[in-house]
Amino acid sequence: MTETPFIEIEDLYFSRGDHEIFRGVNMTIPRGKVTAIMGPSGTGKTTLLKLIGGQLAPDRGRVLIDGQDVHRLSRKALFTLRKRMGMLFQSGALFSDLDVFENVAFPLRVHTDLPDTMVRDLVLLKLQAVGLRGARELTPAELSGGMARRVALARAVALDPELVLYDEPFVGQDPISMGVLVQLIKRLSQALQLTSVVVSHDIKETLSIADYLYLIADGQVVAHGTPQTLDINQDPRVSQFVHGEPDGPVPFHYPAEAFYRDILGQAALRQ
Amino acid sequence: MQSKFSNGTARITRLGRKGCDLMEALGRAGVFLAQSAVGVPSREGWRLWVHQMHFVGVLSLAIVLVSGLFIGMVLALQGYTILVDFGAEQALGQMVALSLLRELAPVVAALLFAGRAGSALTAEIGLMKATEQLTSMEMIGVDPLRRVVAPRLWAGFVSLPILTVGFSVVGIWGGYLVGVEWLGVFEGSYWSNMQANVAFVNDVGNGVIKSLVFALVVTWIAVFQGYDLVPTSEGISRATTRTVVYSSLAVLGLDFVMTAVMFGGL
Repeated sequence: MTETPFIEIEDLYFSRGDHEIFRGVNMTIPRGKVTAIMGPSGTGKTTLLKLIGGQLAPDRGRVLIDGQDVHRLSRKALFTLRKRMGMLFQSGALFSDLDVFENVAFPLRVHTDLPDTMVRDLVLLKLQAVGLRGARELTPAELSGGMARRVALARAVALDPELVLYDEPFVGQDPISMGVLVQLIKRLSQALQLTSVVVSHDIKETLSIADYLYLIADGQVVAHGTPQTLDINQDPRVSQFVHGEPDGPVPFHYPAEAFYRDILGQAALRQ
Repeated sequence: MQSKFSNGTARITRLGRKGCDLMEALGRAGVFLAQSAVGVPSREGWRLWVHQMHFVGVLSLAIVLVSGLFIGMVLALQGYTILVDFGAEQALGQMVALSLLRELAPVVAALLFAGRAGSALTAEIGLMKATEQLTSMEMIGVDPLRRVVAPRLWAGFVSLPILTVGFSVVGIWGGYLVGVEWLGVFEGSYWSNMQANVAFVNDVGNGVIKSLVFALVVTWIAVFQGYDLVPTSEGISRATTRTVVYSSLAVLGLDFVMTAVMFGGL
């Protein structure tokens, strides 16, 4: 395939205060595929999505979306580019002053001049796709976590974007909503030919929908490949994560002084 | 000696850093104001503004008008007890009107507005930030400065001067109730002395100018504190407190400066 990748991340550096989060991350995210970015908690996966979306600026390196350098665009051009992306937030981030229907209608109302009847049809189509057509009059406060995320998903794809960024879509979901979300992401990506970027640490679910995977740890990409190749990867950092082993290169313990010394104290050592 | 020296430099460094932080925050607030308040509103923008006028202005009416009534009544009562000693109770109308128009209405209305509407604006915008609503709006390609902040800013700018005028009107009526209806000041002198001694430009005009300045400052502080806060529950509570404290101090300080310029013969 000679198709150009949709997102290219080149030599990305980012730090918060003294804490270095990314040290030279390189990624290419293919068009029309589901790409997963995985890694232990606290490795900056959400930060990476914010860098892709242009909400944070890197210290060094660049992010190209469809050939445009996100961090060199003017504020206006950035907002225009964002019309082509949707993002699903971990919390859903629904507008609390609008009901479900208006939340999904929001992008259509602000970015198009479609008549009300057409907005209504489009919103109902999106809500039907996530199975919540009947919940259109509820307010975000009346929704369960899983429902809120499905409404947010309907809102994220309301404008039929080319790219959808998913921030931890499976966190805190019961098995049923988890299954629903997995199916939805898979179906939507295939039906709409979306480029999807899924940030997650839920291995089983992510492996089942991803076409390609990146594993990040210590501010760098430690492995990438298809789900099959990662499964047999021998790198201890990869196998610890993929097989969910509690201890390994990523230690179980937060750095601390020796346990024996900490418990017994100096007095015991003197004896 | 060495430690005393390094202690001193540390203190100076801290002071310098505080100064830099302050300047930086002022700069951010300035850019924030320019980016959100300048620009032509769309049709949707008008609708949002009207909605905020209701929330910020109409819902503050009750507290502002009731306070105005009581302040007018107290002024008349206090003024009467002093003026009557000099046989000058006919001047009560003028005293009540001038105190209200020049000072009390702009200042008290602004303080009440900071407590009622300012704190609510900070908390609302802050909570939208904490729940990622502002971020998600940005990702949808809508600028929250134009969509969320601008209508609130303009609603504040417009509604406080109107509330101030309402405060004065109700206050003067309250003074009438106490002075004329209760204490028996001659009704004709209450109104005619007021008419003869209140200058439209100097007294009413300057009062309105004051309230315009207060409106700008209070609303600006309120929305900026909301937009710039640390998105945690503690951050929201601190920012809300800061809104009320900063607005009150700014209103009282600016009032002194403006009074000196307008009425101090400077």
